[in-house]
Amino acid sequence: MTAPEGPEALVRRGTVITAIALLGVAGVYVLAWGYTPIEARQGVAQKIFYLHVPSAWSALVAFSLVGIVSALYLWLNDPRLDRFAAASAEVGLAFSAVMLTTGPIWAKPIWGTWWTWDARLTLTLFLFFLFIGYLALRAALQDPGERARFSAVIGILGLLLVPFIHLSVYLFRTLHPQPVVLKPSRPSLPPEMLRTLLISGAVFLVLYVGLVTIRYGLAAAEEAGERGDAA
Amino acid sequence: MPPENAGYAVAAYIVAAVILLGYTGTLVRRARRAIGRARRS
Repeated sequence: MTAPEGPEALVRRGTVITAIALLGVAGVYVLAWGYTPIEARQGVAQKIFYLHVPSAWSALVAFSLVGIVSALYLWLNDPRLDRFAAASAEVGLAFSAVMLTTGPIWAKPIWGTWWTWDARLTLTLFLFFLFIGYLALRAALQDPGERARFSAVIGILGLLLVPFIHLSVYLFRTLHPQPVVLKPSRPSLPPEMLRTLLISGAVFLVLYVGLVTIRYGLAAAEEAGERGDAA
Repeated sequence: MPPENAGYAVAAYIVAAVILLGYTGTLVRRARRAIGRARRS
């Protein structure tokens, strides 16, 4: 058995993974602008797809993991699970910010409006606010056990919203298009577009891993500082 | 002919880069400060 990695090693490793992922994001920019064709009906604005969709996937993965890990925390009472949940929630909010800004910028030229209160958009905004509340709650509570328990409940509530968000385009009449990849039938995209989207999805997931590793190391360093350990 | 709307795509790509780079930079700075505090304690 090897000793668990210290906060400094975690932050260093996370920084390396994040740097590689950000280079990957730069590669996605090049692919989106230089490799994928211009969509006939939507024009160049459709290229927002290669950022908007992967950031949405990453945000939903991040928030789902918060819920799953929070349930595990309530069962096992392991503080590492709480630390991971907090890290995943914060990184999920960063990806949500990308999704919720690129979405309206894409909507304006295609739908003629920046925002519409349909089910998919409203539920996604609600999830964003729920996790802002999650982080606000964590900041307000001083007792670590109480903070972990209360925030775990919010995290599980967030997880319950995720399937509704994915299925909202089937359950309600909505302007938001239906999934083109994550659906029972084959993806309905030309190969260049599908390839670029899948590469972007993978790059965003690596970025998620890198950012969560840094954020986890940061929380571990803060706890070590409070206890008076050396990092 | 596809519609002329490249400005929206450029704006979205710039906004996404600012959010991702801004958050990463802030996170790394916070982590370094926390490690510094843990070392001093």
